Amino acid sequence: MTLATLTRPWAAMSYGFLDASAKREMRRKIIKAIAVPGCQMPYASREVPIARGWGTGGLQVTLTLIKPASVVKVIDQGADDSVNAASIRRFLSRVSGAAETWDTLEATILQSRHRIPEERLRDDQVLVLQVPNPEPLRPVQPNMSIARQMHADADYGRLWLVLYEQMVRSGRIVQGAAYPSLVNGRHVMTPSPIPRWDVPKLHMAHHLTLLSAGREKRLYAVPPFTRVEPLVFSDVPYQVEDHAGLTCHRSGLSGVFMNEIPQDSGGSVFEASDSNLGIKAIRQAEGEATKIGPMWYENGELRP
Amino acid sequence: MAYVATRGGERAIEQAERLYRQEMGQITADRVAGLRHALPLLVDRVMGEASLYDPDLAALALAQSGGDLYEAVLLLRAWRTTQPRIAIAAPVRLEELFTHRRISAAFKDIPGGQILGPTLDYAHRLLATEVLEGTPFTPPPVDPAAHPAPAHQPSLAAWQKAEGLVADRPSAPIAPDDIPDVTREPLLFPAARAHTLQSLARADTGGVLALGYAAMRGYGNAHPTVNELRLAEAEVMVRHPSGASFSAGRVKVSQAEVTSKGKSGLLELGFCATFGWNEVKVIAGATLDLNAPGAEKGSAVEEEFVLYHTEPVEASGFCIHFKLPHYVTFQSSLDALRGAKAAQPATEEVPA
Amino acid sequence: MSAPLPTVEDQRDTATFEALMWAMARPGTIHDLPEGLSDLILALVDRECKVMVDDPALARLVATTGATLVSASLADHAFCLSADRALAVLTALPGGSALYPDQGATLVLPARLGQGPALRLSGPGVDGTCDVRIGGLPDGFLAARAARCRYPEGIEIAFVDGRRVMGLPRSTTVKVL
Repeated sequence: MTLATLTRPWAAMSYGFLDASAKREMRRKIIKAIAVPGCQMPYASREVPIARGWGTGGLQVTLTLIKPASVVKVIDQGADDSVNAASIRRFLSRVSGAAETWDTLEATILQSRHRIPEERLRDDQVLVLQVPNPEPLRPVQPNMSIARQMHADADYGRLWLVLYEQMVRSGRIVQGAAYPSLVNGRHVMTPSPIPRWDVPKLHMAHHLTLLSAGREKRLYAVPPFTRVEPLVFSDVPYQVEDHAGLTCHRSGLSGVFMNEIPQDSGGSVFEASDSNLGIKAIRQAEGEATKIGPMWYENGELRP
Repeated sequence: MAYVATRGGERAIEQAERLYRQEMGQITADRVAGLRHALPLLVDRVMGEASLYDPDLAALALAQSGGDLYEAVLLLRAWRTTQPRIAIAAPVRLEELFTHRRISAAFKDIPGGQILGPTLDYAHRLLATEVLEGTPFTPPPVDPAAHPAPAHQPSLAAWQKAEGLVADRPSAPIAPDDIPDVTREPLLFPAARAHTLQSLARADTGGVLALGYAAMRGYGNAHPTVNELRLAEAEVMVRHPSGASFSAGRVKVSQAEVTSKGKSGLLELGFCATFGWNEVKVIAGATLDLNAPGAEKGSAVEEEFVLYHTEPVEASGFCIHFKLPHYVTFQSSLDALRGAKAAQPATEEVPA
Repeated sequence: MSAPLPTVEDQRDTATFEALMWAMARPGTIHDLPEGLSDLILALVDRECKVMVDDPALARLVATTGATLVSASLADHAFCLSADRALAVLTALPGGSALYPDQGATLVLPARLGQGPALRLSGPGVDGTCDVRIGGLPDGFLAARAARCRYPEGIEIAFVDGRRVMGLPRSTTVKVL
């Protein structure tokens, strides 16, 4: 054996940026994450050419899955052309040759920060959610070693207590995004800072969701057909954002999650947060042949 | 299509990056070489935090980032990710270090001697403003000692151990090739000893100083005495597949060992080492290492607290990520807040 | 800069993982590996791994990855070609702990998919229930598996039949019909 057999010809970059060893570790951890839905699996989390906190966890998952035939969609706050989404999408296609798309229906891999598209995902699609803080217990226990023990013991009492206190103090649960949810009846996870509107899209879904926190080095998954139940009291139903009655002032869409745009004259107008859905709706209205897929919500109601 | 026109993210990021790079100007090999030679300690610091020893690449990273150290470290770490591992170097032993500087504050003199080496410790910190008026600063020549200090020095802790003064950390024997690597496996707590030392070696100099200083001021349990501080060069010994061991070159390293009297009545040691010469970092790091055992959970010297919060790439990345839009989460909170406001009158009627 | 092209190894490993990932995400469904069982070794293990393997040819392949060859009780991955030994290996493999479920091992073994006893699967990844047949397993294998899978502890199993692979993660409940 020589040194040469242990190495390879120099190349500026591996296919998909990550080297083979990094990808193998990701593969091993993704398998474990799928096997124990909602349970945070620690991983080494390599440094990638974007800053920590900017989607490095999602990026490592996507880079592990990507191949030239992949079609990637990247969104940030629901928008494909937001600066960080554009930057990540450009990087992905640059290191893999995969095709880019803005259309949820065309994508094979969807990497997202803070939103799940409004069109239903299919069983051949993978949703990769970027996660800033993977630990739902962080607000009640910042120490990760203690929090790990609490997960091991399924000790979620303090989390329930926080929700109960909110009920008592404010008359309702005031948790905004990143609503803690019980997965497969065992582990509480944070679904990443998606709005409450999006959490039911993970429950008994057709697609596979991989959630990855690069900075915190934790990876977890929600396989298809897996129970994802927001923590609620039996007499207080889960409440999504009150957006069902709002209409997008640009596309005319209603029954989707909205961005609120404050107006100089006071008050607000609303626009669909899923920006490419808005674009498709406008195109359709202008008579273009554009396909809008089946939606999770219909007339503001979640479809079973 | 009006939807798209108001955004145009792709063009914006392209031009924003150009604006930044325009300020930096052209980067040439000469400029990189100039940085490498003019700023060796900065190059060292960046190499240490990047855990990548290559002064040329470190100088290039400094040139590309315009001296933003967090950017430079990220550039190097990201490059490091792409490199295959072809061999594992043999552990470096203290006695084998090619030592430039070695001092102990614990004793007036020590076996092997105190070696001041290169330092500004006793210099008067005066700006050479004449340089700006056209008079170059020419360093006065060094008068070599009659007898050069020996290149290799024994370890002071070895003497202390022989004297029965030092409590040895419990350690399990491990084959050099099996030493865990924090860049290839997750950091979990209680951390493997190797993970702790590797994390400190990669840690942010400023962050380690802030927490180490807090420990020194009294937020820790142990007050450090510098047992031994070294600036040295280490041979990188690797094994050829044929079995022969050879040096792949030398790297500059610094290391500090600090000590204090422990509860056992013996001396306890804290240790930190890093690539490059960076005395502040290794003294502060060793102080944190000294204070970690038995520290209260969540205290500023506890291992988890220290190692998570001194990781330069994670800390700086998360800090700047707050510039990213968060309007979806904000919208979600706003909805909950309005909902709570609407629910409020009902709860106010509840008798106290 | 033009995008780098995947090497033959990149393509094989990515395709292998895709098959295994969907096999684990949808227990009971069958997916195609590029070549067969040995693909899984190359796509999954390297010098960070401890591997149990009971076949000399596979052992040589594992050795090229840099993984350490160990007995089943220490392994994070096991490749067991002999049906006679599968039960003992399954019993010995680490199942992780409630604190570290990720330390549960992955077991790869040959089986005859579509033959053998009828099984009804349910759990995450299964829409209601899914009926499959898995042949070539030693007696008592599924009972031993049930005993080892004390959720969230447990072991992932990949059954390989030629180029075909079916996954059985620890989260799946198996009922013998």
